Formats: sequence, structure tokens, C-alpha cells
Amino acid sequence: MQITGLLHGSRLLKHVDFPCSEVLGPGASEDEIQAFLDKHGLVFVKPIFKGAIGKKGKAGLVGMVRDLQSALAEKERLYFAEHKHGNVTAKANGVTFEAGVPAENEVYFSITDDSQFRAPTMTLTHRGGVDIEELGKDEIATVPFDALTGLKAFVVANALTDIGAPKEIISPLVQQLPKLWELMHHYGMTTLELNPIRMRPGKNGRLTPVACDFKCGFDRDDPRVARLGLPDQLFASDISAFEQEVNQLRTHQGQSDVFVINEKGTILAPTFGGGANSLVTEVLGDAAIISSDFGGNPPYEKMKSVASICYKHFLDQTNVLFIIGGKSNNTDILETLRGMGDALREHFATRGPVPLYVVVGRGGPNLVRGFGNLADTLDSLGLPYRFFGFDSAISEVVNYAKDVDLWMRDGGREEIARHLGISAAA
Amino acid sequence: MNKQRIQGFPYYLGINALSDMATRDDRVCVLNIMGGESRQVTPTSHAFSGGNVVFGTAPGKAGSVLKTPAGDIPVYNNVREGLDAGHDFNVGVVYLPPSGVRDGVAELIRVNSGLEKIVIITEKIAVHDAREIRAMAQAKNIDIVGGNCLGVADSWNRVRIGGALGGDHPDESLLKGSVSIFSNSGGFTTTIAQYLATEGWGTTTLISSGKDVYIHYAARDFAHALKNDDRTKAAVLYVEPGGYYEHDVDFGKPTVACVVGRWKSKLTRAVGHAGAMAGSGDKAEDKENWFIEAFGTDGVYTPDNPVVSKKGAVVNNISDIPAALTAVMELNDETPDFPSTGSLALKPWMANDRGLNLPEELALKPVKPSAPYDEQVEALKEHIGAMVARQTMKDKSGASVMDPKSQVTSVHGHSVLDLALEPLEANFALPLVHEIANENGRALLDVAVAAEVNLVGDPILVAADAAREAGNAPNAVMATAAAIVGPNRVERALNCTDILIELFAHSGLQDGSDEDFDTSGITLDEQSRALFLAGPEDKDDPRPEAMLKAVAARGGKSVFLKFLGGLDARLNRDAILAAIALTISWGPLMRKRITKLTAHTLPWYLRLYGVMVGATIPGTHHQSGSLCGIPREERFSEWTMADLCYLAMTGKKPTPEESLPLQILVGLLISNGPGSISAQGAKGAVAADGPQTPDRVQINKAMLGFLSHCGYSHGGNGFEGMAFLLQEFEGKGLTDPTDPNHGIDLKQMARDFAKDYQRAKAEAKELGSEVRALPGVHHPIFKGKPVNHDPRERFIAGFMEKRGDYNIFHAFYRELVQALYDTGASRYVFCVNVDAVIAALLLSLLWKDYQSGALKKHDLENAAFTVFLYGRMIGSAAEIDDHLNRGRNMDTRTPASACGHVV
Repeated sequence: MQITGLLHGSRLLKHVDFPCSEVLGPGASEDEIQAFLDKHGLVFVKPIFKGAIGKKGKAGLVGMVRDLQSALAEKERLYFAEHKHGNVTAKANGVTFEAGVPAENEVYFSITDDSQFRAPTMTLTHRGGVDIEELGKDEIATVPFDALTGLKAFVVANALTDIGAPKEIISPLVQQLPKLWELMHHYGMTTLELNPIRMRPGKNGRLTPVACDFKCGFDRDDPRVARLGLPDQLFASDISAFEQEVNQLRTHQGQSDVFVINEKGTILAPTFGGGANSLVTEVLGDAAIISSDFGGNPPYEKMKSVASICYKHFLDQTNVLFIIGGKSNNTDILETLRGMGDALREHFATRGPVPLYVVVGRGGPNLVRGFGNLADTLDSLGLPYRFFGFDSAISEVVNYAKDVDLWMRDGGREEIARHLGISAAA
Repeated sequence: MNKQRIQGFPYYLGINALSDMATRDDRVCVLNIMGGESRQVTPTSHAFSGGNVVFGTAPGKAGSVLKTPAGDIPVYNNVREGLDAGHDFNVGVVYLPPSGVRDGVAELIRVNSGLEKIVIITEKIAVHDAREIRAMAQAKNIDIVGGNCLGVADSWNRVRIGGALGGDHPDESLLKGSVSIFSNSGGFTTTIAQYLATEGWGTTTLISSGKDVYIHYAARDFAHALKNDDRTKAAVLYVEPGGYYEHDVDFGKPTVACVVGRWKSKLTRAVGHAGAMAGSGDKAEDKENWFIEAFGTDGVYTPDNPVVSKKGAVVNNISDIPAALTAVMELNDETPDFPSTGSLALKPWMANDRGLNLPEELALKPVKPSAPYDEQVEALKEHIGAMVARQTMKDKSGASVMDPKSQVTSVHGHSVLDLALEPLEANFALPLVHEIANENGRALLDVAVAAEVNLVGDPILVAADAAREAGNAPNAVMATAAAIVGPNRVERALNCTDILIELFAHSGLQDGSDEDFDTSGITLDEQSRALFLAGPEDKDDPRPEAMLKAVAARGGKSVFLKFLGGLDARLNRDAILAAIALTISWGPLMRKRITKLTAHTLPWYLRLYGVMVGATIPGTHHQSGSLCGIPREERFSEWTMADLCYLAMTGKKPTPEESLPLQILVGLLISNGPGSISAQGAKGAVAADGPQTPDRVQINKAMLGFLSHCGYSHGGNGFEGMAFLLQEFEGKGLTDPTDPNHGIDLKQMARDFAKDYQRAKAEAKELGSEVRALPGVHHPIFKGKPVNHDPRERFIAGFMEKRGDYNIFHAFYRELVQALYDTGASRYVFCVNVDAVIAALLLSLLWKDYQSGALKKHDLENAAFTVFLYGRMIGSAAEIDDHLNRGRNMDTRTPASACGHVV
């Protein structure tokens, strides 16, 4: 869950009263834009993306204008700009007009939970505006600090002194930067980055740090995020309808983490355990429809609901229903297999049968009872199956499921369909 | 807190050697000890560790205890209370929900100055809280393991703290050896230990570190303790992407690192492991390179490319860990701790390929698992037939369902339209075995039911006749007969069935008609044998011989009859009935399509079918050895169910042309879904007896439920259509309804009627009254279009046309709906509905006899009702069996709140 840009960033910064450059949203009228230009002279036009967008890539996707005509031309160019970043191609929807802030100094500031220090860590340099990777170590301050006492003024002061920052920027930064820790820590953020912060000269020469860009990431598990009252659809592009449905069932009693790997996959693999999830997803590759972790001992009703949702979205195209996990430590195998079996029976009753092959690899409490229950369900539905215990290497079981899928693709599905007296088409 | 902090670390670290992680001296306090997960796990941990949990907390539950195999653990409201009661501990285990973890940690730290370690099991802790937890612990010199982890265990010390490492039986997986495991995945910690054992490697200390953003006890800390632990010769790491925890760490001893999660670079969100989202430079591939550099190997170890060094190896797949470790240790001149405990090759425990043509490498045969699982799997096999879970079955049916669009009902997956085209006896077993009987099955069924139809000398006949004479409707007459067929009347047959099932259940017999099956190994004990043989009460009963002869005449095959034949003694007819019933139900029973209960009760249904059909034949026609003048041998050896039903209705044997329409009629009437009143009656009867104690449910009483819940409106209204047709065709000189050259102007008839009807409608409107609804036309669902069709009528019409069969009454109806429209009596062309078809078919069957005077109007009415009963008894049997297997006691009642009161 991430936010980039000042459209929302400025609102968040307002929560802690951190100075921010003025922003107009995509709905600004020409009059408003003109007035804006009159006031600030230099205006930046930036496309609005959802989620996280790489900073480097944005070069070329920012317009600098001083008159209305150029502003409108940039608006048109950037309104639906597309940007490829890593595995994601993002499409903008709107632009912001951001006041240019005249300054001689640009500062880079971020806070993350650094695994090298295992503490919240501030990264700060007065050589902002350039790629931080290109700077020397002595020009960047990377300072962990105590989470309970927070980012103290003296920590900022010491850091700036250590990297030789110009004297005139130290005091203003020392005053304002600690507020950002308040924003981050109390509103459920995991990362916060302002790059650049421009030091704007004011009356009597005092500099004010002004945030000219904003990027933050949120912790899905922290209810504090709700304090910000951010609209849900801000993060909606992150997840598909299916993922949303399943995630609604998220409680601490049994995970229901899912991610759609390949909408056209043919192996539906409800997986149990984070470790199993990694292994299975990696080995199945694109044959897998989802990557999931349903471990943590979900109760019967929840398991059944989650399974129903998965079947509803993906069972029609599934060749192999692959229920897999290691030797569970506390997840009850009877309850989980019963939930998935009953959901399958109901799915067949309401949506008709699907030619499936069922492979199970599992271990844990009530293992054989769970096997027996699922076998009875599959017997009554007329589906073929093979169950492996925990004494078969889990990676071999995954390979087996892959091989069955290949056989299904190569005519096996038709054969099962004939046995069931139905059409093989997905 | 007199712990010395270890030098050389920029943060507090207290654990110096792995042997200090989980010791016999550690005393444990569990927060939220009575929570769901802890309740399952803590007792095992406590017992395994020799009783290391001194107390637990659970607000509001002070004074209770957690029972464990090693004694009770006292529970207090909070930590202070426990300490005040005199307990001491140095390790806290946190099972609190995510929002409570931070405060729980704070409590442990602030209240107990003797605290040294905390293990946090909880997952999905907010990063905010994790930060503060770390800061608090660091400030007070406390080591933390977790969050989102399964705790720690030590195979040498036989101690387990926190979570369920080693599962339910830690003795099985925690084998003493020389390898330490440090894993980001809790579940895989145990799995890796098991995998190592297959190469002969045991373990020292196992640590589940979790994979949150904050890993409080991380690889660097582990490496330090590893180096200082004399017992441990090597380490196995299981590592996921995200975080620099493993960067630049010197392990000091041979290490196999399993790095998993290359695909996670594709993710935009974490799945399962919150911290396994790489930022930059800490992807799976990056971590692989850290280890490759640290170990100096040439790449990732795979079975095809087994690159290792003295320092270690990197794998991507956990099943490569054991072999990689052995290879690394060989370079270090170390051998495994004990002989291998088995392999991890694929061993299916259970499989069912359903006769599919799987390639050899996929069709792996199930093997016997190790104890105690082998016994458990065996016990599963003992169970015979399907297992069905019970639920409320009010207004629900697993047997029938009506398609809302087509209004066609299906019974066990077969639409009644298809069933109408099957021979009647094929349908009699359907409701109970969920499959349509094949030719052999049909032959046997015909014999079984035929043997029940002649009721001469049976009080049932007297009762049925009395009911008939009293002017009761056909369903009440049938009910009288059914009421007498109570448990004592079927006890012997049902017992025989049970014995046969027990005898053959595990014999390998798959097909009841397989007379080549070797039954030499199967023997009846004396007591059981007596049950099958004819006793003094059977000495005058001609039926056993007649039935066996008939089966032979029809070429019927039954392994059970053959087996019983081998007893070389006279069988009684219940034994024969049981054998026949089981022949038909055996296949579905073995394939787990039906339950043992269903197979057990099948003879009861067959007896009821026969008796109910017989009851519709007046007493005078039941003579010894003949029914309606037809001799026993002929009926048993040649006649079908449809023939018998025809005989019952008309007193004559039908020709095949006459039999077919009856078969179609009965088939169409089999079921109208669970909402129909007849189905509701049957289900209610079962619910009232209590299906959860199936022995108490009297099947014949359930049939009474169906029979009492039909009548002149539901089931008996088929006659209305016939009455209408009789009226219209009065005096038209019709002799043969099946002859297309009848010379009657149907169009004119229809038009005349339509005009009259139109007039009657107009008059009624003036008077403010209603004109009668026309039977056989129109339908609440199939309406509104310019021309409407009832799909069921279309189906039958199509079938008849293909055969070139003509029915004048049906043709008349087609003209009628058109005429109604043409004259303006209807706004659009009504459909001809299925009731019209039923009336047309039946009247055509009985026309000649009616014309000749052999049948009166009253008889026609009875016939219509009776045809309905013949069909619906099959559907009701399906509902009864379904509700018996699946329902709960009294589940059909409507709660008072859903009822209303009127004055």
C-alpha cells in the first residue's frame, strides 16, 4: 500500500504541520492555474500514479512550465502517461500542478526500518535532488534512532554536522524534520521519503524546508492507517476483485493471503505455510493461478469460505486442485480438508461439476481423518485423486502436481470429463 | 537482567551459544495461555520439556489450569499475580493477538526483573509495535525471538519453548545430532529436520525466526551462537528475500543456506511473510550471491550441479538440503549422526484413479505409511460405502432439483424427461442406488417386485379392499397397504442384507452380477445360515422356487444368489429379495456412491413397491398362483414393471405399443422437486421419526407421508384433463385415438369450443365472476411470448413424432391453444402443458375400454390418480432415502416465529 505525489502527500503532511509546496489537483480550472502561475512563477506538472513508482523513471514525466499554454500542453501530455517500473506498468490518471520553490539547497530525507540496524533509520543528505546512489558515503547520514523516544532534534543536528551540511539549513531542518517521525510512526507507515525538500528563503533570510515531493508506504497490518481517512480506492489498483474478496476474511486466526500469479493458470493450489508458499509458487511458475498462504489454523467456516471464493473465480479453468503444505504444527488437517471438500461439493451442486484431478500433500494433526473425509467427498463426486503424507519430499509432490497438469493438458482432462459425463471445456 | 551483553555487536545480544537458547533451566511464562493456539501447543511443549512452563496468564481466568500430560499449569490474570504467587521465570512466550503483543512485552519486561528472553509467536504485528518492542527489549537487555515464529527447540536438552516445532510428537522429529537449523519459515523448520534425518543428520538447536520486517533474532546473532556451541558441527539456514540480515555474516562452521523466493520479485505485495518483500539489493538472487561469496562456491547446488565447498553450499529447494549438507560435511571429514531414517521419495498414502488411463509414472501405487498412520489408513478402508455429513434438510434435497428455467426436475442427475424414456424398472432402483439399472439389474428387479404384488391370503388385501369399499381415494387405499409393511415384515430381509454386506465387503467383489467371482473363501456361520433358509412358516410359500426359476429364465446373474445356492438348502423369499437388492446396490456401494444404510434398506423399498402396486388391484383378482388371471410363472419370468402397472390399471396385459405411453407417463411423474407437497410429506415423515437414529425410521411410514400428502389437487388432478377431453369428444364417434385417419375435424372442434369459451368469459366478466381455468393449457412460467411452449410437452411430442405415434387428444390440444388465440379468448398462444400430455396419453390408453363400458368415469379418475402414485412413489423413495441419510431429527419443522395467526 503506497502513495506517491503531493496530491495526497500534502494532506498527510498537514497532519503534522510540515511545510509543503502548494498543490493544485487535476480538477483545477484554467483560471486557477493562471492564478497559480501568477503567484509562483514556476510550476511543475506531474502525472498522478497509484502505488509506488520508481523515482528515476519519472524523469521525462515531469513538466516545468511558466505560462498557461505550456501548462495545459503538459497536462494533456501527462494526464494518462504510462510508466514501466520493474514488473509493473502504471498508468497515470490526472496531473498535479505543484509550485516551484526557489532554493539554493535541496535535501533528501527518508525514514525506513533498516534491517542492518533493526531500528527506524533516518537517511539524510543536503545533496538532495540527485540520485542518492551516486553520492559518497560521507555525504549521506544514515542514522538509526530509538523508536520509543523517536527522532530527536539533536539526532538531526548531529547528522547534518557530520556530513558537513551548510550551517543555514541545520536549524530549520532540526525544527521540522522530527515531525515526520510523528507522521510515520503514528499513522502506520513503514517508509517515508521526501525528495527533494527545498530550502525556501523567507523574510529576514530564514530558510524554510518545503516538501516538493512525497512517497510513503503503509503497513497493511496496522489499524492506525485508518486514522488518516484515506479512501480505499487509493490502494484499489493493488489488488484484484478475487484478492479483495479473500482478504476480507483476513483475521489473525488463520491467514488468507493470496496473490494472483497467472489468471490463465491451470493449477489451483491452496497452500499452507509461508515456506510452502514460497516453494510451491516458485516451482509451479506460470502453471499456478494463485500464490497463497492459508495456514495458521483457520477454523472450518473460514476455510470453507476462502475455498468457495477461490473455486468461484478459478475452478472452471483448473486442471489440478493441489492442496499442499508441510507437516502442520497446529493447523487441523481434518477441519481444513473438510472445509475445502464441502466447498467443492457445494460448488459442484450449484455450478456443475468440473473435470479435476486432486493432489494433496500434507502432514499434521488429524491427518488421516482429514484424508478419509476428503476421499469420501471426492469419491461421491467421482473425482480422481492421490494423497501424499509428510514423508514424501514436498518438492517432489509439487513436481508430481505439475506432471499431472501436463497430462491433463494432453488429453487427461477430456478423459475425466467423459467419465463424469460432462464437457471438458473450461 | 544481569546478563552480560556480548561485545562486538552494535545492539544488545545476550545469547552466547546455541546451547543457551532452550535449556532445562529455563522457566517459562505463557501470555494468553488459554487462547486457541496455545491450548493446543503448550501442553505438548510443557510435557516434552519436562515441565518448563511455571504459569500462564489469561485475563479473567485466574484460578483455572491448563491440563497437560505433565501436570496442570496454573493460570493467573496477569504476570504480577503469578510472580506474587511465588513463581519465577526467565522466558516469556507471547500468544496474544497482534494488537496486544506490544503491551504484553512491556508487561513482561517491566514486571519481571529476572526476564532474559521472550519468544513472540503472534503474526501480523504492526511494524509500529515491532519497533517499540525492539526498543524496549534493547533498553532492558532482553533477547527476543520472533515475531511471527514458531519458537525454539533443542534436541539435546529435550526442550521446546514457544510454538509447535516438531509438531504433535516432537520426539519423532527432534532427533539428537549435530546440525542447527535457523529458518524464516516456522513450518519448514520441522520439515527440514525431518528431511535431514533421511540422510542421517540429527539436530541440536532449532530456531524459527519468523519473517516479519523486524526479525528480532536474526542470522548474524545466530552465527555468533553457532560458533560458540560445541555440540553443533554445521548449520542449515532457510532464508527468504527482504532485509540485509544475512549480508556479510561469517558463520564459522559449514552451512547450507536454502534461499527461496526468486519469484517474489514479481510481487507487489507480501504474501504470508510480511517482511519477505525485497527493497533493493535484498532480493532472493542477491542473497544467493551473499552466501555464494561467503562460501566460495561456484553457484547454486542442484542434484545436476552439486557445487559445494568446505564452508557450505547454497540451494533453492529444501529437498536438496540433506544431500548438500552431506557433501559439505564430507569435505570436512564429518559423517552423519546416525543411519538414514528413510527416504523422501514419493509415497502416496491414498489414491483413486477411477479407472482412468494414467501414465505409469503418475499412477503410483499407494504404500503403507509408517506407524501409527498405517493403522489409521487401514481403519479408513474398513468403512463401507459413502459417508454423508448431516445437516438441516428442510426444503432441501440432495436427490431432486428443479431447473427454474425449464421447470424440468432431475433426480440424482437424471432429468425426468430422460427417465420417461427408460423402462420403468430401470427407474425403480434409481432413487436408491443413484444409477439407472442395467439389463441384468432390471431383470432381477422385475422378479423381486413381481413377487410382492399378489397379496392373496395376506391381511393387507383385506384392509386394502375395505379402504376401497369405503370410497377412499387411491392414495388412501395404497396407504392402508403400506401401513402394514412395518419393520417385522422386513426384518429378515434386512438382516440377510447386512450379513451379506459384511461377508463380501472386503472380499474385493466390485460387481454384484459377477458370477465368476470366487466365493470359496466366504462362509456363513450356523446362526446366520439359518436366517437365509426357509423355515416352517415358509413351507407353503411357492415364491422362493418361482423367483429362482424366474431369475434363471430371464438370464439374471447375481453372485449373491449363486453363493446362497451353494448352501444347498431351500432359501426363503426374504433371502432371495435381499440377494437381488444387494446385487443392484453392490457396485454403487463399493464405489461409495451410496451409504451402507441405503443398501441396507433397499429390500424394504422393493417390498413396498410391490405391495403398493398390488393394493391398487381389487381383491378378487388376487388368486393363488394368478393375478387378474395371469399365472405366476408368466408374470415372474416375463412381465415388466410397466406390464404390472398396466395390468393393475386395466386388468389386461399391454402390448408393447400400449406399454410405452404408460412408461412415459409414469416417468414424467416421478418427481417435481422437493417443494412439492408429496415430497414435503415424505421428508416430514422421516424428520419426525428422527433420521439421526436411522434404525428408528420406518420406511413404510415415510411412504405414508408421501401418500397422505397428495390428493385431488396434487396428484389427482390429472383426471381434470381427462374429464375435459371426455366432454369434448362426447358423441364424436372416436374409436381409436391412435389412428390419424379419424375423420374428426379437430380444428372446427377447437374453434367451436374457443368461441363458447370466449363468450363464457365475457359473461363472467359482466357478472364479476371467474370462468373456469382450462386444464392442460397455460403455465405460470411458460407464458408471455407470442407462442409459448412447455418444454416437457415439447419433449414428449418430439419423441412421439419420431416414432410416428399419433394421439388425437394431444393434437386436439394443439388446435385448442391456437383457436383460443385466433378467437381472441387469449392474448397470446398458450402453451400446452405437461398435464395435457398426461391426460392425453392416459385417455388414449383407456379409451377403448371406456367406450365399451368396461371402465366407468370413476375408473378413469382412479386411473389418473393411480398413474401419478406409481410415478411419484419412485421420487418419494428418493426423497426418503436422501432425508434419512442426510437430515437431522425434526429438521422440517417451521419455527413458531415464521408462523402467523389469523382470526
